[in-house]
Amino acid sequence: MAIIEIENLTKTYRVYQKREGLVAAIRGLWHREYRDVYAVRGINLTVEQGEFVAFLGPNGAGKTTTLKLLSGVIYPTSGTARVMGFVPWERHNEYRRRFALVMGQKNQLWWDLPAQESYRLHQQIYRIPPEDFQRRLDELSELLRVRELLGRPVRELSLGERMKMELIAALLHAPDVLFLDEPTIGLDVVAQHNIQEFLKFYQRERRITILLTSHYMQDVEALCKRVVVINDGVIQFDGSLDEIVDSFSGYRVVRLHLAEGQSAEGLARLAEVESIELPRVTLRCPRGEVARVLARVLEDYRIVDLSVEDPPLEETIARLYENARGENRQSLAAATEA
Amino acid sequence: MSSRQSTRPDYFRVFLTFARNSLVRDMMFRTNFLIEAITSLSWAIMNVGFYWIVFEHTPSIGQDTGWGKYEFFVFLGTTWIINALVQAFFMPNCEEFSEMIRTGALDFALLKPIDTQFLVSFRKVHWSSLSNLLLGIGLLVLSLQELAHRPVQPWRLSASVCLLYPLYILCGVAILYSLMTCLAATSVWLGRNQTLYDFWFYITNFSRYPMEIYRRGWGIPLWFVFTFIIPVLLVVNVPARILAQPVSGKSGSEWPLAAFTVLAAAGSVLASRWVFRRALAAYRSASS
Repeated sequence: MAIIEIENLTKTYRVYQKREGLVAAIRGLWHREYRDVYAVRGINLTVEQGEFVAFLGPNGAGKTTTLKLLSGVIYPTSGTARVMGFVPWERHNEYRRRFALVMGQKNQLWWDLPAQESYRLHQQIYRIPPEDFQRRLDELSELLRVRELLGRPVRELSLGERMKMELIAALLHAPDVLFLDEPTIGLDVVAQHNIQEFLKFYQRERRITILLTSHYMQDVEALCKRVVVINDGVIQFDGSLDEIVDSFSGYRVVRLHLAEGQSAEGLARLAEVESIELPRVTLRCPRGEVARVLARVLEDYRIVDLSVEDPPLEETIARLYENARGENRQSLAAATEA
Repeated sequence: MSSRQSTRPDYFRVFLTFARNSLVRDMMFRTNFLIEAITSLSWAIMNVGFYWIVFEHTPSIGQDTGWGKYEFFVFLGTTWIINALVQAFFMPNCEEFSEMIRTGALDFALLKPIDTQFLVSFRKVHWSSLSNLLLGIGLLVLSLQELAHRPVQPWRLSASVCLLYPLYILCGVAILYSLMTCLAATSVWLGRNQTLYDFWFYITNFSRYPMEIYRRGWGIPLWFVFTFIIPVLLVVNVPARILAQPVSGKSGSEWPLAAFTVLAAAGSVLASRWVFRRALAAYRSASS
């Protein structure tokens, strides 16, 4: 069953076009020029119950705007969206009781109070039965290993601990849909890993639907089978991580460990050399040529060990963004000419 | 997914939790709490001293208005009570509402399955402001004791006064709350509203004196605007008049005004809900 259905969703912001200089600033008092900025332009997306979907995209691509539209925080300019059958921006309480939004950049807990005081408030607002509340709080604080921090003022917690507290706040009412906007931003590797593990476990246990935005590829690799790449407000790609790698990384990385005394001379004629630190050599090789290059290498050189890998995901994604940007520019140019 | 019935939040309990959390927070910074309470107390005492001096020069505010010294102190006590209530329950919240719009923190309020205006309006209680409430009540008690020995129509406590005075205090608070919410909501369109406090001060300044002051010369247009359009003149005047019962030639003229005050309070709250809704619809949320 489709739990999220988005059709032609568009959000534009009217922004005041500032001009440089004092004279222009004074003129701006009377005569203001506005321009429409597209945050999201006509996206279509369907998410099934129980999916864990990653939203990838550079800054300003429209990821957060999409999550805010789906949470009903802002109204769209046009288009429709339904989450569990509700139109989010109608802000029905029945809908608001069944989802949660966590934003890595903002916090909702009372800053000066221990997190448990904010949780009590949640209990009242969401009307969570006391026994459910206690059971969930025990369970979540156990899983995230923060039980002893519940009584400490939020402002005294580390960023990672605070994020865990925010996650608990979001999950106490057992939402069916969870929107996570960069939940691991600014966290160290350990905290990031803990949160990934937790999200993975929780999603698998509860079969809830999660939409996640993140800039960290590790998050995406660890958590999501499905990736939606959004750029300039348009969905550029929707599929699995493997497919991204297949279609957007045009080459593979071949690492060679040469035998003692074997020189690297001549390798540059076979493929692009990325680095030479004898006895190790790294080559970049177009996808279709890997077999041919390897055959030649094995024939002409004495090799101790070798491996063939995909390039780092970050690099592939960066290429995808670049590609998309180029295409957009072309299509915009075509549109203005027409 | 156990029980989905009776999911409507219990607004009163939510409010109690807000009040409790605020108190816990205030107690954490108890020195600050004390300083705030002392500051507002000393302001109040200077205030009463100032009017004491004024009444050294004149027996009443205006001829035949009935606002003598102790009648006016009832008026002053009423002002304090209303201001204390507004400052304790709404001032910090409206200020924060404006800030939430600017920083995008309003996002979280919009996610909660509860009336957003309620959530934003009652989130915090500024407990130290309630010190002026006690002081106001004290001033009322002292002044009313004096008025009980008034030569003409000595003051008597009646059942209707006991009922009406709190009711009109609530009406006054409702009018001020609505005005403040409307002002704070303009931040959605203005992006930033630092003049909120200034504007608030200018307008409420008019509510701090008996309305007879304005019923002369060019004060009449002011009186009209602040009675019927932005009804801040009704806020203190109506309850104070009901309680102090100033003896003037025009006794009995307060009842049409009292009836209008109830309407004005209800209308103001409805207007604030309308403006609040419009503001939420126009809310853009700040960047991630």
